[in-house]
Amino acid sequence: MTVAVKEKSLAQPKKSFWKRFTRFIKKNPAGFIGIFLVSISVGCAIFAPWLTSFDPGKASLVSRLTPPSWSDPTGESTFFLGADQLGRDLFTRILYGARISLMVGFFGVLISLVIGTILGLVSGYFGKWLDDFIMRVADIQLAFPFILFAIVVMSILGTGIWKIIIILGITYWVGFARLIRGQVIALKEQEFIHAAKAIGGTNFTVIRKHILPNVLSSIFVLGTMYIAEFILLEASLTFLGLGVDPTIPSWGGMLADSRNYITTAWWTAVFPGVAVMFTVLGFNLLGDWLRDRFDPNMKM
Amino acid sequence: MLTYVIRRLLHTVLVVFAISLIVFFAIRLTGDPVSVMFGAGEPTREAIEEITKNLGLDKPLYIQYGLFLKGVVTLDFGTSYRSGMPVTDLIFERIGATLALALGGIVVAILIAFPVGIISAVRRGTPIDFFGRIFSLIGISFPNFWLGIMLILVFAVTLKWLPSSGFDGFSSLILPSITLGMILSGILARLVRSSMLEVMNQQYIATAKSKGISSWAVIIKHAFRNALLPTITFLGLQFGSLLGGAVIIEQVFAWPGVGRLIIDAINQRDYPVIQGGVIFLAIIMVVVNLIVDLSYSIIDPRIKTGKGSN
Amino acid sequence: MKKMFKTRLVAILAILMLVLAACSSEGGKTTTKTEGESKPTSGENPAASRGNEVVVGISSDPQSWDPIDTFLLDWSTVANSVFEGLVERTLDLELKPGLAEKWEYTDNNTIVFTLRQGIQFHNGEPFNAEAVKYTFDRLLGDEGKKGPQYSNYTSIESVEVNDEYTVTMHLSNADPVLLTKLAGYGAVIVPPGYIEEKGDENFNNNPVGTGPFKMTSYKRDQEAVLEKNENYWKEGLPKLDKVTFKIIPEPSTRLAELQTGKIDIMKRVDVAQADTIKGTDFLELKEVGTPTVYALRFDTAKEPMGDVRVRQAINYAINKEEIISTILNGYAKPISTFQSELSFGNNPDLKPYPYDPEKAKELLKEAGVAEGTALDLFIPGTDGNFKEIAQAVSFYLEEVGLKVNINSVDGTTLTSDLIPKGDAGHMYRNGWGGWTLDFDNTAYLMYYEGELWNPSFKDEKVEELLRAQRASVDQTERAAIFKQLTELLYELAPEVNLYQAVDLYGVNKRLKNFQPPNEDRMRLEEVTVE
Repeated sequence: MTVAVKEKSLAQPKKSFWKRFTRFIKKNPAGFIGIFLVSISVGCAIFAPWLTSFDPGKASLVSRLTPPSWSDPTGESTFFLGADQLGRDLFTRILYGARISLMVGFFGVLISLVIGTILGLVSGYFGKWLDDFIMRVADIQLAFPFILFAIVVMSILGTGIWKIIIILGITYWVGFARLIRGQVIALKEQEFIHAAKAIGGTNFTVIRKHILPNVLSSIFVLGTMYIAEFILLEASLTFLGLGVDPTIPSWGGMLADSRNYITTAWWTAVFPGVAVMFTVLGFNLLGDWLRDRFDPNMKM
Repeated sequence: MLTYVIRRLLHTVLVVFAISLIVFFAIRLTGDPVSVMFGAGEPTREAIEEITKNLGLDKPLYIQYGLFLKGVVTLDFGTSYRSGMPVTDLIFERIGATLALALGGIVVAILIAFPVGIISAVRRGTPIDFFGRIFSLIGISFPNFWLGIMLILVFAVTLKWLPSSGFDGFSSLILPSITLGMILSGILARLVRSSMLEVMNQQYIATAKSKGISSWAVIIKHAFRNALLPTITFLGLQFGSLLGGAVIIEQVFAWPGVGRLIIDAINQRDYPVIQGGVIFLAIIMVVVNLIVDLSYSIIDPRIKTGKGSN
Repeated sequence: MKKMFKTRLVAILAILMLVLAACSSEGGKTTTKTEGESKPTSGENPAASRGNEVVVGISSDPQSWDPIDTFLLDWSTVANSVFEGLVERTLDLELKPGLAEKWEYTDNNTIVFTLRQGIQFHNGEPFNAEAVKYTFDRLLGDEGKKGPQYSNYTSIESVEVNDEYTVTMHLSNADPVLLTKLAGYGAVIVPPGYIEEKGDENFNNNPVGTGPFKMTSYKRDQEAVLEKNENYWKEGLPKLDKVTFKIIPEPSTRLAELQTGKIDIMKRVDVAQADTIKGTDFLELKEVGTPTVYALRFDTAKEPMGDVRVRQAINYAINKEEIISTILNGYAKPISTFQSELSFGNNPDLKPYPYDPEKAKELLKEAGVAEGTALDLFIPGTDGNFKEIAQAVSFYLEEVGLKVNINSVDGTTLTSDLIPKGDAGHMYRNGWGGWTLDFDNTAYLMYYEGELWNPSFKDEKVEELLRAQRASVDQTERAAIFKQLTELLYELAPEVNLYQAVDLYGVNKRLKNFQPPNEDRMRLEEVTVE
């Protein structure tokens, strides 16, 4: 990894860019690490087929639980990070797993972001009974046990990765709604909003042109952090028996299903854990940095 | 103020009512409790019908719901199908363990988040800030069951310092509290740090510093105070969900809390326990939210006009 | 330049730290592993200080100890030490006199029991004919009808007290497995005075029986403490002073407790954990065949599963032996019909369908199943080990040109909703083990039309045979019927019979004479501590 950094630096012809780059790292080491880790997982997700010669679905019970090639006493293992419970290459599964985890994180957040933003804007802007109503619905959503909610949704819609994305998306709109509502209430009292209304702007245009742009950065920050949380929640769902089809290489599924192997085939539990840790840490650091940059006083 | 309180109380009743309605009908969409009871036995059609009748599950749904609602008003949630015990008793015998874990988690979170948050704010941009933040984020970088199992492997199995499970004295509280606390501390440390920064940029701190007053004294006196309010808000809002939301941690550490009661009841489709448990938690959550909102507007009158007017 | 170098150093250091953090977390596990293996040299047994007391780790709490309220295996694990029936079933599955000294069938529908004298319940109440009558009146009465046990004993019409120590049991119809049923679960004898005085609710939490141990404390979802019954009727038993059952749901935590000596017996060891126990010097792994069998059952209402050739083809296509030897690490046994080798009615002449993908392809072609036909498989999401099996199955079926979509769903929804309604896809996992060890119980529920767990299978001949065996108490006649039935079911292939489960117990070596039970009903009165 250090080599990669160096190469990148040498390959930069423009000194000014390099200067800016180093200054950035110096000022925001955490932000840099965040961007770096997130880019690695995104890179793994996009380039998975080119980074490995194995097929993530190709199983062979003969190579079940083969240790990683560098820690195999017999020296026969050809699997860089070992093989899983069905003899599939763990490295390949983890690379492809990035796709699933990022998909859960990204689309899950997209759903909750859209619902939460709309409801938050409406609630904060119009206030009164609409605000009361939306906030009480939020209370109901929060008080309803997540697991029960997941079981009920799954028994209506069936199972699968998209159902999990929907469940996460519907459950977590509350965070966005509350955040946006608070900011809209604050914005509403400001001069420029009054001015915009005074010159005859409709509610819709005021929200779209003057309020939404001012809350976008918070949405963005919270969304980044929620991606991290959703990746972990997918694992928790598998732990509780509500996960995705086991043939799908999801990090959460791998972690939950291999927890009993920790003492006998540690690599099946450790490497997906490391992958999750780096990615989640990456998104959290990225979120932190974005917040520092855009909205340092955000309370969350 | 009084009308506000009354209005919010009225809303609370509405919320609890809505939750009772949703829970009641939602759990009836996911299978039936009678065939689950049989385990290793013989669920013949006749037997299932008989038990369904005995449990009153053959009555029309609106009648069942009416009976249930009548119970809720008198805080009588009925009897568990599985244990034959009154649901209220089942919940109350677990409150101790649940509170202990929630408080333990909060204490650990504060112990991690305050030092980390304060130091990273004061030494903003230094390596200390950097590593402090990474450290506080470790807890939310793993799924909680994984973190719990790892802690057990390290501190119970390998080092043999602490018990790995159970609800048996202070030592058994440590690992589950750390697991829960580490999850909270990531967000809390962030909160403390940004609250500190907000004040530290202000003029009077700089003035105080320039006057040669020990910078730590100033920080503790002014900045720390500013961090307290959002912390209390955050913990208050989390407290409700901490009571029931630590399900996985309770499962891993065999902790006899309310969360596990509800999840076991869900798995057994023990309707009265699910209904009672969910409503109990909902009441606590809504009430805590209400208290937080009220105290907030008393402590910081800015709230009414909205916060963050800077 | 110097500045730039410094910046770069910081960045590199930061990355290194992260890698180190990752490696150390990984290193932590490696040490745990070697620790487990290197323990043999230290040789110290962490449980030694507990003396004549034993702690057992079980996975779930039955919530109520009243025998008529529950049908859970974990209930029997604990309650088998507290309660006893008229008949006793030994760990070797033989029926012996229990609280009844002897019994006699006066005709097909009447049994006379002579009771053992001088036995007391844990509360000092005498055990006598009244207690027996009370037990069955309660089981078959209003209180019993609230629980799942009642339906198992409907063949008993009434119990009549002849004198203090003899009772007559009148049956409404012949029941070939009644004596087995009297050895456990709902038919264990309960104290009338105690229940009448203290009430049913109290009995849920404070059970009283005649067994070798009495329950002295119960904390729901934590532990049940059993102490030696000093007045136990078997001479010199039990040998232990105290047994504590701890409820620990998560298997990795249970294993940690066993490794640290906090528990002496771990129930439900996962196949993945077996090697860890074998690698620890003060622990041993005990395995025992159970009546529980696992199959992928077909919903014959869903095309193309209605075609017997397709069902047979899938049976040929799956390499069950390989599944058992690899994924289950040999801790399972092959089966040919949906019952274990312990079951009365098992036909040892039938051999499981051999692994023959060519034959499978042929049959599929004959049946006109197109290459790439997709089948839905439903499995419970909580069973990690079975998820592996389901994936292996999907690979085998891919080889013969079928595509399998695995749906991993909430276990309770699967058994109580999806399967009964016929919404569990083309095939679904079904695990079943009748504790009566008789095929009657299983076969009736699985193959008779209209039964809860038979969404669609129907065969006139099968139903006829099922009715015929139920009408008879002559075991040779029933055996002959079952032989015919198993052969027929083998041909019809209403399921892929995967394996008979083997239960694994992790046991601390300081325990002597612990024999793992076949069907979870642990017996600890003979166990001693070194």
